[in-house]
Amino acid sequence: MRGITKRFPGVVANEEVDFDAAAGEVHALLGENGAGKSTLSNILTGLYRPDAGEIRLHGEPVEFHAPRDALDAGISMVHQHFRLVERFTVAENVALGDHRREGRSFRVHPRAIERRVAELGERYGLAVDARAHVWQLSVGEQQRVEILKALYLDARILIMDEPTAVLTPQESEVLFETLREMAADGRTIVFISHKLHEVKAVSDRVTVLRGGHNVATVDAADATPRSLAEMMVGRDLGEGVRAQARDFGEVVLAVENLWADGDRGGAAVRDVSLSVRSGEIVAIAGVAGNGQRELAETIAGMRPATRGSVRVAGKAPRAGDPRGAIAAGVAYVPEDRLGTGLSPSISVASNLVLKSYRKPPASNGPLLRLRRIRDRAVELISRYRIAAPGPQAPVRLLSGGNLQKVVLAREFSAQPKVLVAAAPTRGLDVGAIESVHTYLHEAAANGVAVLLLSEDLDEILTLADRIAVVYEGRIVGEMARADANVEEIGLLMAGGNDPRHD
Amino acid sequence: MNNSLLVVLIAAGIGYGTPLLYASLGELLAERSGVLNLGVEGMMLMGAVTGFWTVQTVHAGTAVSLAAAVAVAALVGAATSLIHAFMVITLRASQIVSGLALTIFAGAAGLSSYLGNDFNLSENPAKHTFHAVFPSGWQDLPIVGPIVFSHNVLVYASWLLVVVVWLYLTRTRPGLNLRAVGDAPAAADAMGINVAGYRYAHTLVGGALAGVAGATFTLAINPQWFDNITGGSGWIAIALVIFAFWRPELCLVGAYFFGALQDLAPELQARGIHLGPTVFWTNALPYVMTIVVLVVVSASSTRRWLGAPAALGTPYVREER
Amino acid sequence: MPAAALVFAFFASGLVLWATGHDALSSYRRLFDAAFLNKGALGDTLVSATPLAFTGLAAAAAFRMRLFNIGGEGQLYIGAITGSAAGLYLGGSGGASAFVIAATVVAGCAGGAAWALIPGFLRAFCRTNEIITSLMLNYVAGYLLTYLIFNTESYWRQTNGFNASVFPTSKTIPSSAVWPTETIHVHGGVALPLGAGLAVLAAVLLWVLYTRTRFGFEAAVLGDSPRAARYAGMRTRRKILAVMAISGGLAGLGGASQVGDFRHQLDADPNGMQRQFYGYSGIVVAALARYNPLAVLPVAFLIGGLQNAGNSLQGADFPSGLVGVVEGIILFSALGFEMFARYRIRVTRRRRAQAAPAPEAT
Repeated sequence: MRGITKRFPGVVANEEVDFDAAAGEVHALLGENGAGKSTLSNILTGLYRPDAGEIRLHGEPVEFHAPRDALDAGISMVHQHFRLVERFTVAENVALGDHRREGRSFRVHPRAIERRVAELGERYGLAVDARAHVWQLSVGEQQRVEILKALYLDARILIMDEPTAVLTPQESEVLFETLREMAADGRTIVFISHKLHEVKAVSDRVTVLRGGHNVATVDAADATPRSLAEMMVGRDLGEGVRAQARDFGEVVLAVENLWADGDRGGAAVRDVSLSVRSGEIVAIAGVAGNGQRELAETIAGMRPATRGSVRVAGKAPRAGDPRGAIAAGVAYVPEDRLGTGLSPSISVASNLVLKSYRKPPASNGPLLRLRRIRDRAVELISRYRIAAPGPQAPVRLLSGGNLQKVVLAREFSAQPKVLVAAAPTRGLDVGAIESVHTYLHEAAANGVAVLLLSEDLDEILTLADRIAVVYEGRIVGEMARADANVEEIGLLMAGGNDPRHD
Repeated sequence: MNNSLLVVLIAAGIGYGTPLLYASLGELLAERSGVLNLGVEGMMLMGAVTGFWTVQTVHAGTAVSLAAAVAVAALVGAATSLIHAFMVITLRASQIVSGLALTIFAGAAGLSSYLGNDFNLSENPAKHTFHAVFPSGWQDLPIVGPIVFSHNVLVYASWLLVVVVWLYLTRTRPGLNLRAVGDAPAAADAMGINVAGYRYAHTLVGGALAGVAGATFTLAINPQWFDNITGGSGWIAIALVIFAFWRPELCLVGAYFFGALQDLAPELQARGIHLGPTVFWTNALPYVMTIVVLVVVSASSTRRWLGAPAALGTPYVREER
Repeated sequence: MPAAALVFAFFASGLVLWATGHDALSSYRRLFDAAFLNKGALGDTLVSATPLAFTGLAAAAAFRMRLFNIGGEGQLYIGAITGSAAGLYLGGSGGASAFVIAATVVAGCAGGAAWALIPGFLRAFCRTNEIITSLMLNYVAGYLLTYLIFNTESYWRQTNGFNASVFPTSKTIPSSAVWPTETIHVHGGVALPLGAGLAVLAAVLLWVLYTRTRFGFEAAVLGDSPRAARYAGMRTRRKILAVMAISGGLAGLGGASQVGDFRHQLDADPNGMQRQFYGYSGIVVAALARYNPLAVLPVAFLIGGLQNAGNSLQGADFPSGLVGVVEGIILFSALGFEMFARYRIRVTRRRRAQAAPAPEAT
């Protein structure tokens, strides 16, 4: 790929990116969120058309008009979110993915498919029972099915998008074996990741993207995790830190040895302990998908803890019950604003009392006091400068920034003891981000214990008093703001501290 | 022996169950693509009335008239279901409300009744009806006679249909695609399968089969026309699909079982057997059993094996590319 | 309901009429007259509209929370059974007794509510889809109803008298259980049945419940976004049971009204009450009223008028079944136009959204 440029309104996702990969090579594509990795791979698989630049396959220029063209050219991608039909067997899923000539035949020959799947499985160490139904398989096995689909089509170039995000360490090892086998066969593997030790472990060459540019392409053997992290993050972070001269109060939120399961089974929060004082902002840095959401949900009572405890002001609210947490004074700003934090078709005013409607002044016994609710809404709208057609407008009409303001307005005005904010500025524009940061500061100034979960280092360094880093469900590092070092945090976030490396 | 209760019941079950079988196979296909069509009763009645009308108006020999009648019934059934398909697939309206509207529109107090009364179809019995295919000698054979050999073409065609649908679902590529559309439309879409197209096609086929089911009433079982001749069979067919765990071979078993139940009470009465609230139970049993099946299916552990197509009832909106 | 939809509906029905050789305009004229203008028409329309109001309210109560209770039909039957039982048991001769009537009202509601709680429980605790379960129970209720009179010597069945020995009949409720009517002096006097009054009251109460109480607030959120409801700490299962009970109770009240207001006995004839499809029509009414309880009343009145007209005009030169056709077309038009409007909004929103950065960052 040469000179690939792709623009979307408001952002240049890829700028003059050169990328090449050889047959038999495992080439890693490294970068943070927003660096442009997925755009590049989407172009390679035919989902997007580049605005400029060209793609050459075996020296011949090619153009992909649709994903099918890329598939025909032998390029397959294994996505983070599998495209499998759970009820089907492995063989059926493989058949479904087969769009070529023999796949176009009217009849489906299950036994022939099963045989081929078994063959491929043995060859590459991807053993999976072709007759098993997908829902019976573990996540690692499901991923193998996706790989088998690609192999069945005899993909010459295989793109793996953050494949280990859903795997256990042992499964990852097995995957790396498989990838090396496939590369030894002359295939090309493009391995997209943000995890440094993996990239070192499995790839031959590494290309680092940052802000849409190709920063460097190095041999994996020559690079160290530190050098890679530097390239990935390499911003000149001026010491533009707001002076925090605040007294912190007592410990309000105490999390001890907390374990909680994820949605797909298996622990997502592993032995997490932390504490937040009144007036303090503790930020948890980590790439999305390392257990932050589950941690936030457990503290907010939406997810039951399997082990350990959460205490607010010394008392443990009833586990697994959001009402208990709300009553204990825990405010939660979830990642998924419109899906979880707000009720989309309901009015702004109603959303503002979503948690407080049960008590006065919002209600008087069983009846709601609509005028009081509306007045309150008007007040909050003006105070937080929420741009909305009116307090009765359904909340889904608001823009992202204003949605977040509604959530924050609601959570703050409940005068909580603890505020858990998960990725609060994701998807917002600069002005909205400013506002959110201001409110978080305000909350801390008012004595609220703030727990911020974010993957934006800038944000964390601006706001936090203390920083912890989460990786694969564990806290892998903790430091005060004054001692914080960008490169080190980046390293920790990417698992650089992982004992498996070196 | 041919008059024993069991034989009679089975034979009757096959006879009465045939429209149930057609309609449920049609609904099965629609539901497998993710579309719940509650308008089966309406479509059946439309098929019944238009099939009957064709037979009364066409001037041709028996075979041609009947063939034309079945064809017309199928076409009309499909056309009726097109309304529902458009509402639900393109406009993404509520599948329940649209289906019920269809039943009201086309059903016993609606279009089918309108057409039937307008053309005075209740005055005369059908000019041509389906008769048993095999000669009476065969029909008198012990046991197999009444059960296998005394039926008309529609019954035998329905047996063939069960096999065809089964093969379609399990052994062909379009069938595989269909199952993907109903279970995981997002995944199917990602594979380049035309989700809307499959849904339309199978809803229409469902309508056509419902039409044929309705025609079975007016041309074979009860060769005349009157208002509400199907008497609620459409709803039983919907229940039947669930009862059969969305499998064609079980539709066959279920259809005949439910059909036999319809004949159970009169037969018992004719034999002087009184079993208390039999009438209530034989009528209510299909519905009660369907509820039980549904509860079983909803329990998570079995849902994966036996349950409904996962996307049933939900409109499909393609996510942002 | 947009006027455009209504206009389209009449146009489309007109086409159907024309295609089968009838004069559309004159048919419409006659329909309108028979529904509202003719002597006694208003009263008859009220008779048709009252059950529709109850089942419409029942459907609205449930559908608003995305609980698809299709069992209004069966719940109405059960309400009729329990309501008439109360009337038969408690009633006596003499004038209308407030106590007895109140008892029939309560009994009717209780019966309907109980019947609706079956799919309610299954949904709340087994996550079983309430659409099919409530639908199936309609048939069970219908057969139960028929059975009580036609197949057994039940409490409801009339055993004395000449007619009773010829054809199964149900007992007539005693006079103190007959629901009173109020005569409004309009248009030559119109009889307003108690049921109609109760329906209006129920509509108002339901509206207040859903728009002005905590209960209604929770129901709204639960129907809109179950995840947000959980986030806010709302109790889902209790709400499902409560709403199903309310919905069933309303339909059951409709059944009690059938007995108390109009038929004065338990009508188990398969060609009588069971052929009227009040329950299903109620869903249509609710959908047209966009599930707003107050709007259900006028819609029920209109559809009731339509049905009344259909019944009274039935004859050689007026096609029966026209009522269903027109009703169906109205509903399809309303659904279609509403969806079309929403669809267009969604398309323009998507275009606007595409102006913002589209790629999901990795």
